[in-house]
Amino acid sequence: MSGHSIDLLVIGAGWSGLMAAYTAANAGLKVQVIAKGLGSMHWAAGSIDLFGYAPDAPDTPIHRPLEYVTGKLAKEQPQHPYALLGKDRLVAALDSFVALTHELGLSYGGAAQPGENLMLPTAVGAARPTYLAPQAQLGGDLGRSEPMVIVGFEGLRDFYPQLIAENLAKQGIQARAVLLPFDVLTDRRDSNTVQQAHGMDDPARRSRLISELKKLAKTGERIGLPPILGLDDHAAVLFDMQSQTGATVFEIATLPPSVPGMRLFKAWRNRLNKMGVRVDSNMEVVSAQSEPSSNGAGPSVHLVESATSARPMKHRAGGYVLATGGIMGGGFNSDHEGHVWETIFDLPLTTPQARSEWFNPVFINPAGHPVFSGGVAVNEAMQPLDGDGEVVYSNLWVAGDLLAHDNPILQRSLEGTAIATGFAAAKAAAAAS
Amino acid sequence: MHTESWQSVGPTLDECIKCNICASYCPVAAVTDLFPGPKFVGPQAQRFRENGQPHSPDHSVDYCSGCRVCNEVCPTGVRITEINTRARAELAEEHGIPLRNRMLGRNDVLAKLGSIVPGLANFGLHNGLSRTLADSVMGISKGAKLPRWANDTFAKWMKKTAEQRLKSDKKVVYYHGCSTMYYEPFIGKATVAVFEHHGYEVIVPEQGCCGLPLLNNAEFPEARKYHQRNLDWLTPYARQGYPIVGTSSSCTLTLKEEAPEMLDMHGPEAHELTMAVWDIFEWLRELQESGQLQTDFRPLPMVLPYHSPCQYRAHRIGSPSLEIMSLIPELDIRESHARCCGGAGTYVYKKEKYQIAMDVGAELFDFVKEQGAEVTMTSCNSETCRWHIETGTDLPCRHPIEILAAAYGLYDLDTRDLV
Repeated sequence: MSGHSIDLLVIGAGWSGLMAAYTAANAGLKVQVIAKGLGSMHWAAGSIDLFGYAPDAPDTPIHRPLEYVTGKLAKEQPQHPYALLGKDRLVAALDSFVALTHELGLSYGGAAQPGENLMLPTAVGAARPTYLAPQAQLGGDLGRSEPMVIVGFEGLRDFYPQLIAENLAKQGIQARAVLLPFDVLTDRRDSNTVQQAHGMDDPARRSRLISELKKLAKTGERIGLPPILGLDDHAAVLFDMQSQTGATVFEIATLPPSVPGMRLFKAWRNRLNKMGVRVDSNMEVVSAQSEPSSNGAGPSVHLVESATSARPMKHRAGGYVLATGGIMGGGFNSDHEGHVWETIFDLPLTTPQARSEWFNPVFINPAGHPVFSGGVAVNEAMQPLDGDGEVVYSNLWVAGDLLAHDNPILQRSLEGTAIATGFAAAKAAAAAS
Repeated sequence: MHTESWQSVGPTLDECIKCNICASYCPVAAVTDLFPGPKFVGPQAQRFRENGQPHSPDHSVDYCSGCRVCNEVCPTGVRITEINTRARAELAEEHGIPLRNRMLGRNDVLAKLGSIVPGLANFGLHNGLSRTLADSVMGISKGAKLPRWANDTFAKWMKKTAEQRLKSDKKVVYYHGCSTMYYEPFIGKATVAVFEHHGYEVIVPEQGCCGLPLLNNAEFPEARKYHQRNLDWLTPYARQGYPIVGTSSSCTLTLKEEAPEMLDMHGPEAHELTMAVWDIFEWLRELQESGQLQTDFRPLPMVLPYHSPCQYRAHRIGSPSLEIMSLIPELDIRESHARCCGGAGTYVYKKEKYQIAMDVGAELFDFVKEQGAEVTMTSCNSETCRWHIETGTDLPCRHPIEILAAAYGLYDLDTRDLV
């Protein structure tokens, strides 16, 4: 691309940013990732939600999400990112992601029946729909019939086995709870799931837990644990747990920080590094410069600048993928009057610009709130559009939670849209180079 | 209470969403119960440090090593390290500063004294008896590697070789810092050689300690004097348009950002200095971008584990050392993603923190071991980190500028001298 040492600069290191970087590097582009901090992968449960709930049936999970988003949803909401992508690109993106997870030794899988949503237990014992999950979460599939024993640890925050088991039992799932002393895991007085998971990388610690689990599990029971089955050596920890207890051992995702997300992030970043892609956090993009239209190509992004300890640092690339996230990720900012803006390029937004229009009157509202479905409108190539439907910058592509016309939290579609639009943005950038 | 302004960090407190990413990446909280993690002692405890609160609520903030990994990973831009450093200063104001910390904070004075009679000073400090005494009486950890005084200071060498030094219209100001001055003048020699290799005349103006050890040991009023001194000495060069280039990543960070911010010294001259200060590889990368970087490299056939230290990453300039060293033929650089070497400046010298520093460093030491037996040396930009990495790996650790000077054929990595 146009003689730059970097072909594509990806701004943001969450699901959509890493997927864009990976896809573009695979297509032969020289890629770099910069991000303000570490993002969405550290917050989310680590599974890929494709689509969970439709607005007209907020209590009934979507059974076959791929069919739904490429069929009914695409017809009814033609501006939804899934509708823009179409089935082929969506499937290709998901396939590419699954293949990557196998390569990384952190395999993801889906429901026993292909195309269906899985139902997995949450840390409060509710059932949540998701499409793809890490191997270690699949054992918790609520569609399976084996009874569960949920094992927690005294003093470990964010994981209360009694609560989980009772709520699962109310939904007709056979589950009981066991609370083990904290010192089965560690000699520390206090630590979080990330530190526990890291501790399990040590085979000696692991065997201490395994011998306790052997004592308590009844024949035929599945063992549910907080996400502590290793951080850097997860596959080996999971293997040891299952083979030595003889039971299916699974993890239930907890509140952030997300251990499954951190495992994936670390392995994915290392993989990108090996592909020659640098991933730097603590680089907040604070300004951008554009170039006017030439040769009828429309205006383009000339460079972006990130804050340093002194002078702003200039980053020039042939193309740019904007994957800075939504309200949580910092892709948007707002003021007290309700004015909302995109933080780097000040791209046109569909978001209501008055606070009174942000929310519907009812808080828990199946239709969601307008502020959450606002964002950057794009064309099928993920290029940002202005109010007249014109492409804003010819060498800028947008992915992830910045996008307009969806509501990822309500619809349970955050990772699915992020991965698919990151993939599509990179493909479009590669095609343009 | 509250002699320090919280203005520059206060607003970022509201950005904390309690996601715990900082607590999960904090290298200190990962190895000890004595430090609960950045979120707890930072944004959380900060609510109780507002005006009118009589006591700082959380003494465990003293165990923060100041490595800044929390800032690096925070997705919302909370300036956690700055909050914690200020909280440490408030604690000190309330409870006083131990003599040991006052000494560690003034290592420039110690370094200067020792350099008068370096042989004697080395003998006095580097023997089992004095280290045992320092450990038991002062609380200065016995295991931590102390630097040795050089026979000649860097300034003496510059004076001695004045006639051989290159004269040129292209001039650069070198900020060498205390360590190069008194302990490691060879870093300065390598740097001068690289500058001159690019046709630059090197100006070494009068300069003093950047004040970081004082900041880390909660002596803000004294640090303010140190920074003012450097402003007086260095800003005139900044005004003349000279780049002020340094080799110690912590010192340059302090001059650029940490001193003005922590000490609320936001006057025009502090800004002028900030804008003129460069890390040496940041500056070399500029040369590269304008096509002026010398590329007459000799091959350096070796495996080199490289650790980008926390204070270097806190510059937020990417990894220019890695970028430039990558140009050297046959040099197989293995970048460490370890969060911190554990040493964290004066942290490792405090007896009660020594084991923590070793446990934190294990991530990096293990990484070096994993690179195989063929590894003969490692590389890191910061002096105190290099000393700690040498303790943890039993391998010599070199500044990237030494590696680069060697690749230009100007420097011997074993004797650490110009060739």
